[in-house]
Amino acid sequence: MKSKIQHFGWCLAIAALTTAVMAADSPTTSAEKARQAITTLQSNAPGDEKAMACKRLAVYGQADAVPALAPLLADEKLASWARIALEVIPGSAADEALRAAMPKLHGKLLVGVINSIGVRRDAKAVGDLTSKLKDADAEVASAAAVALGRIGGDKAAKALEKSLASGPVATRSAVAQGCILCAEQFLAEGKSAKAVKLYDTVRKADVPKQRHLEATRGAILARKADGIPLLLETLRSPDKAAHGLGLRTARELRGTAVTDALSRELVKTQPDRQGPLFLALADRDDVSVMPVVLATAKSGPKNLRLLAIEVMVREGKPACVPVLFDTLAENDVELAKAAKAALAGWWGKEVDGQLTTRLPRATGNSRRLLVELAGQRHAVAAMPELIKAASDVDPAMRTAGIKALGETAGTADLGALTDLLAKAKSADDISAVQEALESTCQRVSDKAACADKLIASLATSATPAKCALLRVLGVVTTATALDAIRTALASPEASVRDTAVRVLADWPETPALPALLEVLRTTQDDSHRFLALRGCVRLLDLGGQPPEKTLETYRDMLSRTERTDDRKALLSGLANVADPAALKLVGPLLKEAQVQAEAEVAMLKIAGALVKSAPADAKAAATQLQTESQNPTTRDRAAKILADIEKSR
Amino acid sequence: MKTTKSNPTSKAVSRRNFLKRAGVAAGAVFAAPYFIPARALGRDGAVAPSERIVLGAIGIGNRGSYVLDCFVHEPGVQFVAICDVKETRRLAIKKKADDQYGNSDCAMYHDMRDLLARPDIDATLIATGPNWHATAAIQAANAGKDVYCEKPSTKNIAQSLALAAAFRRTGRVFQAGTQRRSLPNFGLAAELAQRGQLGKLHTLHAHPMGLTTLMSGWLPEEEPPDKEKIDWDMYLGPAAWRPFNKKLLDGFNFEKGGGFFGAFGGGGCLEWGSHCVDLCQWANSADNTAAVEYWPEGKEMHARYANGVKLVMRNDGWLPLGSCPVRYEGETGWVETADNGEMVANPTSLIAGPRPRISGYPANFHVRDFLNCVRTRGQTRANADTACWSHITCHAANISLFLGRRLKFDPVKCEFPGDDEANRLRSEALREPWRI
Repeated sequence: MKSKIQHFGWCLAIAALTTAVMAADSPTTSAEKARQAITTLQSNAPGDEKAMACKRLAVYGQADAVPALAPLLADEKLASWARIALEVIPGSAADEALRAAMPKLHGKLLVGVINSIGVRRDAKAVGDLTSKLKDADAEVASAAAVALGRIGGDKAAKALEKSLASGPVATRSAVAQGCILCAEQFLAEGKSAKAVKLYDTVRKADVPKQRHLEATRGAILARKADGIPLLLETLRSPDKAAHGLGLRTARELRGTAVTDALSRELVKTQPDRQGPLFLALADRDDVSVMPVVLATAKSGPKNLRLLAIEVMVREGKPACVPVLFDTLAENDVELAKAAKAALAGWWGKEVDGQLTTRLPRATGNSRRLLVELAGQRHAVAAMPELIKAASDVDPAMRTAGIKALGETAGTADLGALTDLLAKAKSADDISAVQEALESTCQRVSDKAACADKLIASLATSATPAKCALLRVLGVVTTATALDAIRTALASPEASVRDTAVRVLADWPETPALPALLEVLRTTQDDSHRFLALRGCVRLLDLGGQPPEKTLETYRDMLSRTERTDDRKALLSGLANVADPAALKLVGPLLKEAQVQAEAEVAMLKIAGALVKSAPADAKAAATQLQTESQNPTTRDRAAKILADIEKSR
Repeated sequence: MKTTKSNPTSKAVSRRNFLKRAGVAAGAVFAAPYFIPARALGRDGAVAPSERIVLGAIGIGNRGSYVLDCFVHEPGVQFVAICDVKETRRLAIKKKADDQYGNSDCAMYHDMRDLLARPDIDATLIATGPNWHATAAIQAANAGKDVYCEKPSTKNIAQSLALAAAFRRTGRVFQAGTQRRSLPNFGLAAELAQRGQLGKLHTLHAHPMGLTTLMSGWLPEEEPPDKEKIDWDMYLGPAAWRPFNKKLLDGFNFEKGGGFFGAFGGGGCLEWGSHCVDLCQWANSADNTAAVEYWPEGKEMHARYANGVKLVMRNDGWLPLGSCPVRYEGETGWVETADNGEMVANPTSLIAGPRPRISGYPANFHVRDFLNCVRTRGQTRANADTACWSHITCHAANISLFLGRRLKFDPVKCEFPGDDEANRLRSEALREPWRI
């Protein structure tokens, strides 16, 4: 912590220094800032001040700053700071200073100056840089080569070509890089013949592989359509890196002729290279690509068809939609699945139109997939077909139809689903319709309307359907839904009562608590009592009533059960009541051997929560546990609570 | 400033980013990248040794360790070498790798050039401080390596352009560590904006988490450690020289809040803007450009794109959705999301239906996207061009913040028309012998 504070202090110091030295809103003018910086450089100021002066001159310095900066080029500590300014000061003075420094320097300092000359693209330095191509220091010669490349032009190119042919191996990579940079400039200036010549020179030279690849790329792009043969040659290379370069360049070389050539190549190329080539083709910014994608999607090898589906999703063109629907109708499971996923997420409205048209005509597996698709897309226009499918004799179709209805239906369609529930014969169908109803009720915003429609169906439903409707009401959770569940608790039908208890026990909100307590008090059914007790504990945990009321409820429940499991469950809930009175309720249970461990845990948790709000009660409880518990872990935790109480004083 | 044209494939790349998995308005699903099985590429069975991706890592601290874990848990990746200027980190990563593979093969380097010279290494994870990111990434590309590079990926506008140009020239794959590009909540939010589901887009909000540009200073000289323990010269790397001081080894300010005026990092709105401004550019279909006007406004930084959409970088007033929030507003609706994976929208129907919720901004999906592209040679979701332009917007905003005035920016020429001071802040010389 201390070091962090110290460090933060340093940061503030640095920020303050920066603000003082660099602040843009300083009252002085740019010229004054520059003059001050020059004065600093010409003084005996320490290095850090001179460094900041250089930074200031990088923004505000003009030609008159150069004489102060130039001497620093020979200073190992400040040379890089000086070049920050010299690289950007406009005018010839900075160029001249950098050039003048070249003969006086060597090693890294010379490399730095040459690099800056390259950045400034000082054409007058070509002669000096050409001489440096022969420097015994390979780093210097390499820097000169790259600088020449950045400057560009015929003279630089000629020098670099010559060096490429005759220079040492150690500098060849940099010389090749210089040639490529030169060629790029020729190309940008429209001098493609010169660019091609340079690129080809590098390709033929003994240069590192990466330089050869770069030259090949350049040679292809500079030739434009005439580069197609070289592109294809590169794509056919057995060398992995060259092939990869070909894939990259295939994305860049413009023109329909290129697309055509690549399409033909796709058919001929070996299978393990078709996928990457297809993706490269598909990435091309060319309108003639889409017909190739569509054709591949229709009749290419399976792996390409799968990739084509991905490409169609990416492109999102309406022309892809019929192809995807046709693919979905095929027997191939993998292709159909991919096509369905593509259509499910399609943004355009054309999918719903096609879906509505195709669904009535479809049969068998493809119809089932279309029904599923309609559900995924919430295609309301397909509702009549979904209702038909939900009553189909084929169980798989029926299940798909019911699920799709659940995904698509709104409040107004709940009747169709409750009708299906009434007609459902098997337990599976009832379960499927129940899920569809739950899905619909979860999705629609008007829960009250949902509850009304479901409750209206309750009266006329057979017992299994009635139970399903009660479960759906457990999803709706409105006040009227809760009333309906309460009513069902008194049903003469045992299965309806059972369902009502279970729904109530899972009710997510506290208004269900009184009904659950009533079940607990009155039921003779052990399983219902068990469910009700746990439901009560869960709802009490949610809060929503005063602690004294909560504790009174726990006291009442404790008095009504002698079962060990029930008492453990109650202790787990009591542990969350941070109130001194809860300690009093738990205390006697410490003496019950079967729940002693749970009682200790509850008491520790309550005491821990009372450390600040009721330290005396917390201390008494912790002291009791530390003294009386046989469990060393309990004693340790109690000791920690006591320590916390001491600390908080 | 010399600029090069954007990658001709960028348009396709944009579509790919936006529409990798389109969704219907209700319940739309933006798919996280999935592992492309070898079979989909026409290869049967498991990953063949020849298709294995051999990985080296550079500068692996806390964040790097996490991302490296994401890599080694992907099929077909073999991690073989660690480079770090700190011996403790080298040893820790080597032990972890050797324990995992049951051998002692993980090589250790403190000069990245030695790691990059290994011909067997296909890809590198770069998780150094931001001072090194662009320089190391370009070095790696020049050495023929694909690169996953943590953010911020560049220190200034010139580096951003150089990064994009280098990866175009070398044909290597680049992924910036802006992993939110591969997470479903951010993806869906961008799609809603892209697809016109919010109506005509008018305002984007990004949370830059602080707009103060600090600078890593020149602290009093201390006795430098043994080079094997900490290689200070390599730690400084392309940054201007300063004496050793162990406080500068701490990432708190040195790496994270460096400020564009500092020698070590972007700071200001770049540290978090490289995420949230990047997401805003994505939503605005502005992956290949930058905002054209910038101005400080109260405690906020504002910018405007050529299509009229405004970008607001602000720290206050966000919904409680976690770190890195973004908000997109159109004429008929808005959406806001952040790192807890939740989304809030108006109308709510924009985000109705089930959607994957991924909180905690994991990087594994983003790493997977990178590895897929290493295999297919495609463009990643946060490729060098995309990263270049989102970083440029942040750098330009920082320049406006520093100068304290409204700036106009020309994304074609990459210059501030008629503003010499602003233009001079687009680049910064690298310490010798480094160049990009």
